[in-house]
Amino acid sequence: MPQKDDSHKADPEAVREFLKSVTPFNELEDQVLERISKRMELDFFEKGSLILEQNVSQLAHLFLIFRGAVRINLIDSDNKSILQDVRGEGSQFGALSIIRGVKSLFSVEAIEDTFCYLLEKDIFLDLLKRNSSFAGHLWEKFSSDVMDSAYEELRSNKLEPRSEEGLRLFSSTVKDIIKRPLEVISASDTIQSAAHLMSERGVGSVLVRDHKDEIVGIITDNDLRTKVVSKGLSSQAPASDAMSAPIKSIPSDTLCFDALITMMNFETHHLVIREGNEIIGVVSTHDIMVDQGISPISLYREIVSQTEIEGLYPLSEATTLIVRKLITEGAKANDVARMITALNDHIVNRVLILLEKQVGPPPYPYCWLLMGSEGRQEQTFKTDQDNALIYETPPEDWDHVKEAKLYFRRFGNLAIQHIEACGYPLCKGEIMASNPKWRKPFAVWRNYFDRWMSAPEPQAVLHATIFFDFRPGHGHVKLAERLRDYVVIQAANRALFLMHLARDCMATKTPLSFFRGFLVEKDGEHKDRLDIKTRGLTPFVDFARIMALRNGLRETNTLARLRQLGEAGLIPTELYTETVEAYEFQTQIRLVHQLRMLESGQQPDNYIHPSELTDIEKQTLKGAFGVIGRIQGYVKTEFRVLE
Amino acid sequence: MNRLFKWLGLSKHDALKRNRQFFYDLNWNKPLEDYDFVVFDTELTGLDPRRDEIVSIGAVKVRNLRIALGRNFFCYAQPNQPLPKNSTLIHNITPSQIVDAPPLQDILPDFVDFIHGAVVVGHFVSIDLSFLNRATRDHMGGKIKNPIVDTMKMAQYYEDHRHRHYYEDAASNLSFSLNGLAKKYGLPLFEKHDALEDAMQTAYLFLFLIKRFRNLGISTLRDLFRGQKMAAFSSDQDSYTA
Repeated sequence: MPQKDDSHKADPEAVREFLKSVTPFNELEDQVLERISKRMELDFFEKGSLILEQNVSQLAHLFLIFRGAVRINLIDSDNKSILQDVRGEGSQFGALSIIRGVKSLFSVEAIEDTFCYLLEKDIFLDLLKRNSSFAGHLWEKFSSDVMDSAYEELRSNKLEPRSEEGLRLFSSTVKDIIKRPLEVISASDTIQSAAHLMSERGVGSVLVRDHKDEIVGIITDNDLRTKVVSKGLSSQAPASDAMSAPIKSIPSDTLCFDALITMMNFETHHLVIREGNEIIGVVSTHDIMVDQGISPISLYREIVSQTEIEGLYPLSEATTLIVRKLITEGAKANDVARMITALNDHIVNRVLILLEKQVGPPPYPYCWLLMGSEGRQEQTFKTDQDNALIYETPPEDWDHVKEAKLYFRRFGNLAIQHIEACGYPLCKGEIMASNPKWRKPFAVWRNYFDRWMSAPEPQAVLHATIFFDFRPGHGHVKLAERLRDYVVIQAANRALFLMHLARDCMATKTPLSFFRGFLVEKDGEHKDRLDIKTRGLTPFVDFARIMALRNGLRETNTLARLRQLGEAGLIPTELYTETVEAYEFQTQIRLVHQLRMLESGQQPDNYIHPSELTDIEKQTLKGAFGVIGRIQGYVKTEFRVLE
Repeated sequence: MNRLFKWLGLSKHDALKRNRQFFYDLNWNKPLEDYDFVVFDTELTGLDPRRDEIVSIGAVKVRNLRIALGRNFFCYAQPNQPLPKNSTLIHNITPSQIVDAPPLQDILPDFVDFIHGAVVVGHFVSIDLSFLNRATRDHMGGKIKNPIVDTMKMAQYYEDHRHRHYYEDAASNLSFSLNGLAKKYGLPLFEKHDALEDAMQTAYLFLFLIKRFRNLGISTLRDLFRGQKMAAFSSDQDSYTA
């Protein structure tokens, strides 16, 4: 007798092994797996071939990808094809169409040579019926796929809202939300006539123009309350006495999100909308909030209304909620980082303002300095404090110097403690205003930078890169600006310094041996994980910094640096486009990773496990990593780095 | 005795008669996906068709140009002579594995049934074929008439075509061994351990090549055999070109 019992020994066993590695098939009992594996078929699709055609192909099978990858496209009514997903080994497609009993809901194309196991439709439906945990896991997978495509939306360049809800903060411009005709009064009109006009027209503000017909200010409900009623200003006084001036104007195509940031940064509730040279309207925080239905601004209000430092302690927790909302609304990582930065800035600013009240005014003007990712406005969730303090150089006599030292020592130490209590951990490298080394008068800071830029010691240079991304925080901003002037003028000519930076740019190894061998950490607690910050993002940050320093840019934000460099033609267009895309994508991945960790109650980190990523993310990340090599090649030639 | 069978034209095994009739009537002009294929491999005691014997056959069915995973054929066969030690080193079949195996003549009719109606495929298939045909001649009174395709020849044709059309580096060092090709084309690799796994590996290669052939204008069985580029012949095989 031929040993027919043995006839399945070889391959169906391999199929079973494969099925055991695939959700939800791993839920099935061995006997079931054995039975279905004998009924399966294996098909091959060469790269580029269409496996399923939307609304045409009848699904006779469920497809399980054994080797290769496919692209799932949705063809819309305009016959445009919209990428839904890329699926790779161990994923499946066709399930939804089978369950709904319709022709293929998507078009599926092989983007690599692809081997698929085929499971007959009826067997699959039978499994669903008989096996509740199998069905349950499948549904779970569907909903997480939906989640993934939601995240996918976030990083799409398109800003058009997909539905009535969501995305508005990032899709509507201030022009879109102008609701009323512009109300303007003359500066010489009385306050009473302004109030009358406001109540008659039912508006919260009127603009004030001077005799040259230029808009010079704005009168709001708030101005009437605080300046007129409570301070007893006469209602017959000219409107110019009650107005807030000057008034900040923004172009009409500004996104509501950016308008909100501007309002927060300038601590105002109204902005004038300009189209060309013409003023076409006013936008208030209220208008934007009404338009949104949500408000990061409410958190901001809560921050600035605190009168006790302790009242600020719990507020940073709320940033997480805001960020969650922003992400579901479709914010890009860079926008989210700017929002986090703006909110964190406000908390710190408020701490410093209240602290000044507590310990008395500073003897010399000072400016709080933000370093590293804070300086670059690239904060994700709570990052360690990286700050410093610069103050006006006191006259050179001991009493003055001592007075300054004592005040700022106390001030710096207290500030750091309060900020820590607000939920921002201490910096392990002690780069904080509590460290006497980083709490210095202007003259000393200038010497520091001078020393770093002339240092022949590469180690000293690298240690200092974090300082080159400084940005002024609360206080006398001019001090920081003067320091920036100095750096901008000097750095471009320090060839050796730039050379050291260039060498450092090239030191990071590209994590390119991708997902059949993601270059992951080899030992320790983050084994098998990819440090996306060090390996993925840092090369881009370093690249933007070195090019900015070389070309005398003041900007510290990585994307803004790249944009300025690209638009001024200081880096090749192609390199510019791909660095921006690669960098944005990775920040997005990191943001989503950290948000997930936060929501599951863990401390956010930068270690990404390949299994967290969808296939499309893996593919894109692979491309992003490829850019690092091109950056390094460019830096190598530009700075003539010898190896 | 066998010659007598043949001369009389009488005692040919029923399976072989059906086999002959089927291919006599075969329409060669249908699209390739309409044919059944059986990809097979054998393990031998050695390479001399006059002395050595088949000790194992593995075969995989391909229908609609898909591998039907549950419909394989696999068996060991008891050779008439003790299993030579050096052959065990090649195919990893030990004497104890075949101690209960039936003699080949008991298995052959099942195998001929299994390949009934199918185009037979193998890698460097002429060796397997000469052993198979000697066995069917000895035990069943004739040879199989299935069209035979050699994946090694398919690969050679494919490579020639690529080099002609894309000026790729002529792969002078390309190995046409089953494993070499599987690696070159990025196919899933099977650890070689028996005739069925080798047949499966060959089936993957066959699918890979035949789907690419359709882009080269080879869409019917007749196209595949045109000019006899891919057909295989054992030393004593009749021609089956249409």
